[in-house]
Amino acid sequence: MGSLIAQILSVTLMNLGSLRRRLWMSLAMVLASAVVVAILLAFLAMAKGFEETMRGAGSSQIAILMREGSSSELSSAILQDQVNLLSESAGIARSANGPLISPELYVIVDGIKKSTGTEANIPLRGLNKTGMAMRTSMRLVRGRMFTPGTNEMIVGEGVLREFSGFEIGKEVRFGKNLWTVVGVFSTGGNIFESELWADIKIIQSHYNRGSSYQSIRLQLDNDGGLGSIKETIAREPRLNLEAQSEREYFASQGKQLQYIATFGWVISAVMALGALAGALNTMYTSVADRAKEIATLRALGFSNFSAFCGTIAEAMVLAVAGGLLGSLAAYLFFDGLNTSTLGGSFTQVVFRFEMSPDLFLQGAILALAIGFISGFFPAWRAARMPVIVAFRHAA
Amino acid sequence: MSEDVLFQLKHVSKGFVKGKEKISIFDDLNMSIERGDFVAIMGPSGSGKTTLLNMLGGVDQPTGGEIWFDGTRIDSLSESALTRWRAENIGFIFQFYNLMPMLNAQRNVELPLLLTKLSKAQRRKNVETALALVGLSDRAKHMSSEMSGGQQQRVAIARAIVSDPKLILCDEPTGDLDRGTADEILEMLQLLNRDHGKTIVMVTHDPAAAKYAKRTLHLDKGQFVQREIVA
Amino acid sequence: MNDLYLIYKNMTRKPLRLFLTCFAIFIAFLIFGAVTSLKTALNSSVALSADNRLVVFNRINFTQSLPIAYFEKVAAVEGVENVTHLNWFGGYFQEPSRQIVTLAVDPESYLRVYQEVVIPENLKQAWLNNRQGALVGEKLAQIYGWKVGDRIPISSNIFTHKDGGYTWEFEVSGIFKGDTEQYDTRQMLIHYKYFMETQTFGDDWIGWMALTTKDPSLNEKVAKTIDDNFANSQSETDTSTEKSFNKAFIEQIGNIGLIIFSVVFTAFFTILIVVGNTMALAVRERTGEIAVLKTLGFSSQRIFRMVLSESLLIALIGGLSGLAAAWLLVEGVKTFLARFLPNLILDSHIAVQALLYMLLLGLITGLLPAFNALRLNIVSAFNRQ
Repeated sequence: MGSLIAQILSVTLMNLGSLRRRLWMSLAMVLASAVVVAILLAFLAMAKGFEETMRGAGSSQIAILMREGSSSELSSAILQDQVNLLSESAGIARSANGPLISPELYVIVDGIKKSTGTEANIPLRGLNKTGMAMRTSMRLVRGRMFTPGTNEMIVGEGVLREFSGFEIGKEVRFGKNLWTVVGVFSTGGNIFESELWADIKIIQSHYNRGSSYQSIRLQLDNDGGLGSIKETIAREPRLNLEAQSEREYFASQGKQLQYIATFGWVISAVMALGALAGALNTMYTSVADRAKEIATLRALGFSNFSAFCGTIAEAMVLAVAGGLLGSLAAYLFFDGLNTSTLGGSFTQVVFRFEMSPDLFLQGAILALAIGFISGFFPAWRAARMPVIVAFRHAA
Repeated sequence: MSEDVLFQLKHVSKGFVKGKEKISIFDDLNMSIERGDFVAIMGPSGSGKTTLLNMLGGVDQPTGGEIWFDGTRIDSLSESALTRWRAENIGFIFQFYNLMPMLNAQRNVELPLLLTKLSKAQRRKNVETALALVGLSDRAKHMSSEMSGGQQQRVAIARAIVSDPKLILCDEPTGDLDRGTADEILEMLQLLNRDHGKTIVMVTHDPAAAKYAKRTLHLDKGQFVQREIVA
Repeated sequence: MNDLYLIYKNMTRKPLRLFLTCFAIFIAFLIFGAVTSLKTALNSSVALSADNRLVVFNRINFTQSLPIAYFEKVAAVEGVENVTHLNWFGGYFQEPSRQIVTLAVDPESYLRVYQEVVIPENLKQAWLNNRQGALVGEKLAQIYGWKVGDRIPISSNIFTHKDGGYTWEFEVSGIFKGDTEQYDTRQMLIHYKYFMETQTFGDDWIGWMALTTKDPSLNEKVAKTIDDNFANSQSETDTSTEKSFNKAFIEQIGNIGLIIFSVVFTAFFTILIVVGNTMALAVRERTGEIAVLKTLGFSSQRIFRMVLSESLLIALIGGLSGLAAAWLLVEGVKTFLARFLPNLILDSHIAVQALLYMLLLGLITGLLPAFNALRLNIVSAFNRQ
């Protein structure tokens, strides 16, 4: 047994030693494997970053209510009477100041994207003190809170990162109205950081919304709270609303980019087939190139299993080298890459590519799979190489 | 110049530069080969016999002197003119046969005919004749990997004669074969020379092979060292 | 036997390698064809915009409305040929997920501004005379199997019907076609007046306007005149060509699209490099044989042509089959994806581009070895053996 391992080891070392003879083919295989792994990682990192941004936003303790049939805050409409009706409902947590209920407005304004220099949609959210207090993850990074009743606003870190002109102290014009940026807030990297926040009363008046709103957020008193809210809505015909937990809402919005992960896996899988064809070529060339060596070793008494393992090992080494290279490239190019795209409500969602260890694991598995498959069949051929080849004349 | 002279080398010199050194292979080499001759060129390794053969075949060119073939001076021809000249006048037989591995015997023999304007039927007839001459009519469809060394060399001979060249050049044609097979091949060359009037120049280091030729030239350090010996 | 036979024999001497090489090229062009079609489909609204059409939105953002009084004012601007106004209805059919592009428009002016909408005269009149009538695009009608005369309930995810609920009933007055295959007919048009009278969100506001100028050269002047007209009013406007508006909207998808496509194209080219390397190597292995052919009297040019033809042939076999597979794929998912990407089509433009890359692959991988073969010195080739 010990001798078998020694055999495999020496055959492997010989194979690797002769790599220089097949430099270009070997490099081609490394490259092929690198590209497939890099592509996979790029797509996964993108999907992961988007998912994290969406997931972090949703709390199961907060319910979000919109008009029936509205798929997003943008298209929903809610009247003041409905807010009043609802605030009496059971299931809402209460503080000394009354029920924790936050009617909110959501309008879209234009900002200039730094990356392209073109206009893109940013949500401007109007909310009151309760709404602000409900967002426990929110903290001011710089500056101060807007003063209610004035044209002041605070901007999310994501907006600051991706759009120009939102630094503290800057004046921003939306249509006729001039706003002043007084603070920068963070919500721990989730989707709210892609928004601008201002006083709801001011937005209602600037955008002719009277006393209407677009969504209601409310703090639930316990885990059964959402059920009570739904009961209230079912009982009261004037409440043509739909309630869901904030977590559910953002999870469904986050699904949007899930197709990117799927697309990434499909593209990588198809690409992997192409790369596999290239890798197989490399390994068959390697076996043909070493035919005489293999046969000679066999003639000397080396087992065909060692010839098999030596070839597999060579393929694995090349594929894994490619995998490492691809991971490194993906990490350097994509990790932390800031980007933004159109989210569920026609507005920009700012997020970061996120390269987590489990993604690298998936990349490593792919590289190993390429190595094993591309090594297996040529190794089979190597193992069955007739010893007579050793005695044949130069081919 | 006699009507019968096919090949004539006049004051031919050949050298090459290796690093700073100038190495001379031949200096003032003279020889002539007549139609219907069968010449063996012998000599130790490095004596320049392969270089000589390459120059005769128009594959390599001399640095000085003149090479005349059948009334044409060939050492000053352009590469493309030389290529055409080779296709028309020379048949080659190599030590390692050099058959195209992806073609069968018949196709290998037909290869030089692609360079002629012969009709399809004519080409097939020529191939059949050449294969019959080397005794391989029954192996026409075999691939080179399915044939022994001697058989492969016979296919190579058929390929060399199929376009009816004026001269056949052989580079160690038996160098890779055992004695018995080598004798068969040499007898075949002799037969081509004697009965079909083919002029043959053969480079070899095997004295036994040289005996089949009409005469042998001994090359050493770029010079013919002995007078011609009539076999 | 002829040169073609020799090329064929050269190509197929290692069938496995040939297969693997062609397969890799196949994959590369399959991806190229499919992804380029996807990309073109995403950008197609830009390409299809009329040159002389402008859109007028609220300066704040295109989701903000404008007063209807603006319509008459814009119509009076010099250089404006036709103008119409549109409202986003936020329509869906039965399920909120089955969204339908539904526009509440001023019918007669809409059809003047959007000449792409092709409809028989009698159906057009029927629609103009029926306030509850809807003009449905051909593809949309196909998706839900609607026919002229059908009464269809369309709900809004934004507006509420005066009679309660969010569902309006419309009668299909006509089904329109686009003047080109690419024109997106997955939309329906309803009467603005009927919409205004039946919804609860106040009167007399419009979503945006679209207009045609008398000549594309007037675009800039007209846009400036309109925006200046409404400067410092309650609703300032932003007028731009439809083309640049569509382009800006596509750009909102942002560099994500750019990143995805550049990643995929990098991969495409890498596969080509890997494959090209194999192909070039395959020729390099045959140096000895090429020397023999030359010795036999085959001219350098002839060998050059043979080597080059071989790489071109391999590139074309792999590439064309990949492109064909991409076409099948696109045709296959076209109907399935028609609701999201109406213009998913692998057109001749993409095919020509792919063909160009195939030729390039064949030429580059073939040229170097072919050139080496051309210059191959027979003497040194034999010495290397």
